[in-house]
Amino acid sequence: MKGFGLALTLIVYVFARKFYQRFSYPFFVPVLTSTVVIISVLFISQYSYEQYMKDVSPITELLGAAIVALGYPLFKQREVIKTHVVPILSGVIAGTWLGIESGRLLSKAFGIEELLVYSLLPKSVTMPVAMEIADEIGGIPSLAAVFVMVAGISCVAIGPYLLKWLRLHHPLEIGIGYGSAAHVLGTSKSLEFGEEAAAISSVSMTLCAINASFLAPVIIALFG
Amino acid sequence: MVKQAFCILAQIGVLYLHYFIGSLIQKGFDLPFSGSILGMLLFFALLTVWKPFERFVEKGANVILAHLPLFFTPATVGVMIYFDLFKGSGVLLVIITILSTLIVLVGSAYTTRLVHKARERARG
Repeated sequence: MKGFGLALTLIVYVFARKFYQRFSYPFFVPVLTSTVVIISVLFISQYSYEQYMKDVSPITELLGAAIVALGYPLFKQREVIKTHVVPILSGVIAGTWLGIESGRLLSKAFGIEELLVYSLLPKSVTMPVAMEIADEIGGIPSLAAVFVMVAGISCVAIGPYLLKWLRLHHPLEIGIGYGSAAHVLGTSKSLEFGEEAAAISSVSMTLCAINASFLAPVIIALFG
Repeated sequence: MVKQAFCILAQIGVLYLHYFIGSLIQKGFDLPFSGSILGMLLFFALLTVWKPFERFVEKGANVILAHLPLFFTPATVGVMIYFDLFKGSGVLLVIITILSTLIVLVGSAYTTRLVHKARERARG
């Protein structure tokens, strides 16, 4: 059944979106619900994973165009970004450092082996850069990609409760938080809070990626 | 209606072209950045230097941005082949990842708030 994967993904997405519009709880974000449903269907039907990935290649191919499209809110909100350069930079630097340090210290506390720790550290950075960083500091790139996904999904599912509880609801705070912690997934979440938050999130995501590429090897060299 | 759909598709094609060029640059210089991120920066630069360009991409960009989660779904489904990792002590790795991610979310947002507030106060 060639093309089953593509049809499945499109249909599940349409329903997941409708479902989220009806029940807008953070846990029901379309990425998470569609992923759970699709994985379940693939398991139950014993449809091959390789074939699924082949089926959905048109969507995967368009992901590149989708990320390019994030430059549009960035352009429309360029004045807002210019005004807030200092808070954005401070948030991004704090976020990158916290991400690497908290990952390193928690792993140490739990006694995780180094190969795994090095794959986990760049989790908040956009996937291709995270894989590159993992490779650079001695981790496994494909494993790093999995942690990037875990970070992204958990952040958009749990994050909104935390931000609400701590009353962090300024577009600046939302954008920087999601962009620094959950890369592109966080940026697409920020879009729910408006164009301004999304633009700030795109900037934070990009700056975090650049910042982490420099910071991760330095922290590893200093503290191991 | 048909004309509208065609227009949106063509505009998405223009966005895709940026991604394509970004990928070429990435491969050519062997950069640690993805073609898509480079494409985004290129797209932003083009919008900034050539104002009328916005009209040629606006609709396509808005359609694609409204459906962003769709494009990530195959990548997140990809986590399924690593299910074994999450068994046993692997659960610890997942817990660390989630905790550390939430620390980043709150830490960066809070830092921004402090700096933003301090600057507003300084300005009076």
